[in-house]
Amino acid sequence: MNALAAAILEGDCAGALSSARRLRQSGLSAELIVIRGVEAAMAKLDAKCTLEQFNLLEIMLAGRAVMDVMKFLYPAGKEAQNTKGSVVLAALEGDVHDLGKNILKMILIANGYRVVDCGKDCPLEKLVAAAKAERPLAVGISGLITPIIPLVRSVKEVLLKRQLGGVKVMAGGAALKQSSPDRLNVDFVAESAFDALHYLEKLAGAGK
Amino acid sequence: MNSLERIVSATRFQAVDRTPVVAQVFGHAAALAGVPLDDYIRDGQTLADCQLRALRRYGYDAVFTVMDVNVETEAAGSRLRYRANQYSVIEQYALSSDNDWNKLSLPDPLKAGRMPQMLKALAILRRQLGDEVLIVGCIMGPFTLAVQLLGLEKALYLAIDDSPRLERLLDFATEALIRFGQAQVKAGAHLPVIFDPCASPAVVPPGFFREFELPRLGRICQALKAAGALANWLHIAGPVQPIFPYYPQAGVNLACFDYVVSPAEVRGALPTTCLAGNLRPVAFVDGAPAEIEAEARNLLRFFADNRGYILSSGCEIPPESKPENIAALVNAARVQE
Repeated sequence: MNALAAAILEGDCAGALSSARRLRQSGLSAELIVIRGVEAAMAKLDAKCTLEQFNLLEIMLAGRAVMDVMKFLYPAGKEAQNTKGSVVLAALEGDVHDLGKNILKMILIANGYRVVDCGKDCPLEKLVAAAKAERPLAVGISGLITPIIPLVRSVKEVLLKRQLGGVKVMAGGAALKQSSPDRLNVDFVAESAFDALHYLEKLAGAGK
Repeated sequence: MNSLERIVSATRFQAVDRTPVVAQVFGHAAALAGVPLDDYIRDGQTLADCQLRALRRYGYDAVFTVMDVNVETEAAGSRLRYRANQYSVIEQYALSSDNDWNKLSLPDPLKAGRMPQMLKALAILRRQLGDEVLIVGCIMGPFTLAVQLLGLEKALYLAIDDSPRLERLLDFATEALIRFGQAQVKAGAHLPVIFDPCASPAVVPPGFFREFELPRLGRICQALKAAGALANWLHIAGPVQPIFPYYPQAGVNLACFDYVVSPAEVRGALPTTCLAGNLRPVAFVDGAPAEIEAEARNLLRFFADNRGYILSSGCEIPPESKPENIAALVNAARVQE
């Protein structure tokens, strides 16, 4: 399991995959490999990525290895059954930058969440429809540009009107993280993808 | 002392009559004039007219011909999408497939994409403003242009999977940027600001910056200085503390710092580099004039005994900012305690 975590942290896709294969062959369940191997690696990455020492390159390299391992453990059509909860993610209409959202998606999947990705340039209606179908712990909005702020401010109200008031709204990304929950009318503003993960861990823990 | 003299004195750590103030007003100039942003970023005359109008309204010390971050990549073959009243986005990268690498050729600033329009805007501004106000052009940094040619994910993976290939791309980008930057100075810019958001430690580790970006930024700064740029201005947002030591090595003598970096940290790390910063850009959208003025006054107090400072935001003041917030920033510098 240590070899798997180490390979992920080094961004070594081939090494991570062969470790995961060996663990499967030895009889361990996919779920156990995720919890003890993938999540352990992500926890180490989390500890390493402080505000001062956070860079996309390392996270993306680890993320690429994680996604290879996850695809091997859960081939198409055989998705993980026992997740900690689901999250709906989007970059809202007008914002075509989705790297931050994709990184959060990877981190959440690697930590046992089901992620419904509404993509970039996403109309609010599509996000709300996904929330209605999924009843997630939270919807996450990633925003790199400021013109989407008025739309972000309206999300909670629209969810409330559709009887989805229990769904938390979290925001992040270069533009949105400069603001505050009050000013954005959201429940949480994440400084980083891991910050969003910590918030969700609290929500998931509270729901148990 | 006019605006240009004030800024040049600040970059040289000489005495100034008051702290210079540079509001990073780019697309906001279009919003202020009621011009659609997608027209502003494509037409040099419109851009220059809007910048002049914004300058008259606010009375700050510099104007900019920044269009958006996609000028060079478009000129080198990327396909952009222009959206109503927004900055452009890349629809297809110049290097979308392996075959594209052989087709890549250095763009001619006089002919390629919107480059001639930016040069036109610079010429108009210089004709109108002469040496009264600092006229700022804009080029990307080498890694940022590489990202704009290839896509961020691909560029980052290339750094690990095939670094010699990335280096070749960075050398191409460097050459293209030098040509464009030199053409800007020739057209009328007092200097081009070098925007390099993708070289931020938020994106790549400091070691990457040192190995890949530093030598090329050095070449660019040297070439711009030789062309007559009054200073080398580097603009990288985010937690840039780990790469501060490389700025003087690259030949940078004017640097932006963002709201995540404290004035004490940046001054300590860069005692001989003129600094511009660091109000939160979003505060100009969702804040109030009193808040902007208070933050600006804090900065002015901190740098009161320090030469080599320009009051500014940490990054672009967003197009939809409230005019009274920008006025508050300028007022803080003009009416100093």
